[in-house]
Amino acid sequence: MQPEDLERALGPALGPTLVGVEPFVGFAGRLRFRREGALDVFRAVHGLGFAHLSLVGGIDWVDHREVFYVAWSDDARQYVLLSTEVPANDAHLESATPVWPSADWHERETWELVDISFDHHPDLRHLLTPDGYAFHPLLRSFKLHEPEELEVKTRHV
Amino acid sequence: MAGQPGVPFLEIEALRTREFIPAAKEALGDLIAEKGQAKLIRPVFNWAGRNSLFPLHWGLACCAIEFAAAFGARWDAERFGIVPRSTPRQCDLMIVNGTVTWKVAHKLITLYEQMPEPKWVIAMGNCATGGGPFRTAYSVVPGVDKLVPVDVYIAGCPPRPEALLDGILRLEQLIRERKE
Repeated sequence: MQPEDLERALGPALGPTLVGVEPFVGFAGRLRFRREGALDVFRAVHGLGFAHLSLVGGIDWVDHREVFYVAWSDDARQYVLLSTEVPANDAHLESATPVWPSADWHERETWELVDISFDHHPDLRHLLTPDGYAFHPLLRSFKLHEPEELEVKTRHV
Repeated sequence: MAGQPGVPFLEIEALRTREFIPAAKEALGDLIAEKGQAKLIRPVFNWAGRNSLFPLHWGLACCAIEFAAAFGARWDAERFGIVPRSTPRQCDLMIVNGTVTWKVAHKLITLYEQMPEPKWVIAMGNCATGGGPFRTAYSVVPGVDKLVPVDVYIAGCPPRPEALLDGILRLEQLIRERKE
């Protein structure tokens, strides 16, 4: 499956939600979309046979943040990369759990490490960091703390 | 055990438990009156305790590999009476063998509180001692002594089984000198 095939299959259904499909090494393509129609994109891509979601992650680009999804198709034996941008001061996005249940923990991780909230997530709790943890360690604004300073803010036991 | 002449309470071959205690009391009566019961019994407890340390059988990180090796055939820590137990209710020694994160901190404290008194803690390796190479990381407790009282620190990354055995023997020294 080539980027053109993806664009041909998804373009009419998604309309302006689909920003574009570009080649990406090792993948069927990199599909960029607007976050408003995220759930439609997930459903459409799932409908193309990409039934296994293997990764959700986030990147902090300082002025905005990027959320990316990697899905695998058993029929095409290919990955596809989906990515969208959210503004840093309003970082939230529709959850992919209705389409891919495996997005659950990945989105919890993205939420606590990169501070991107997922709407209608079934169970948005801390996964790797303790409850009540006040930091988002994968943000570029996060500085290494003195251990004592960190301890005061995270001590909950 | 063969009884020794002149020491009546050692002739316990034929004694049941309920007969042993009055016999021992009778034999020790003068000593107890002279020195006090606690002072007399304490060394016996210390002797029993330090020769039957039961560490909690758990592993946090790579030090657990050395912990496991110390109880294997080559170093055989069981010859010191050290037997890892899988429930904290049966343990009197917690060997913190690895990096402690804030996520696991309250579970560690729960396990420590479930252990019956008297109990001891060994911080094994640099991570448990002071955070190790992850000291400035966002998720690591800089030393397990922030959470529970530590009796013996073992340096190394990871310490070899000999170092762990040395730490345990030092702890046995501490228990030998214990007064209360």
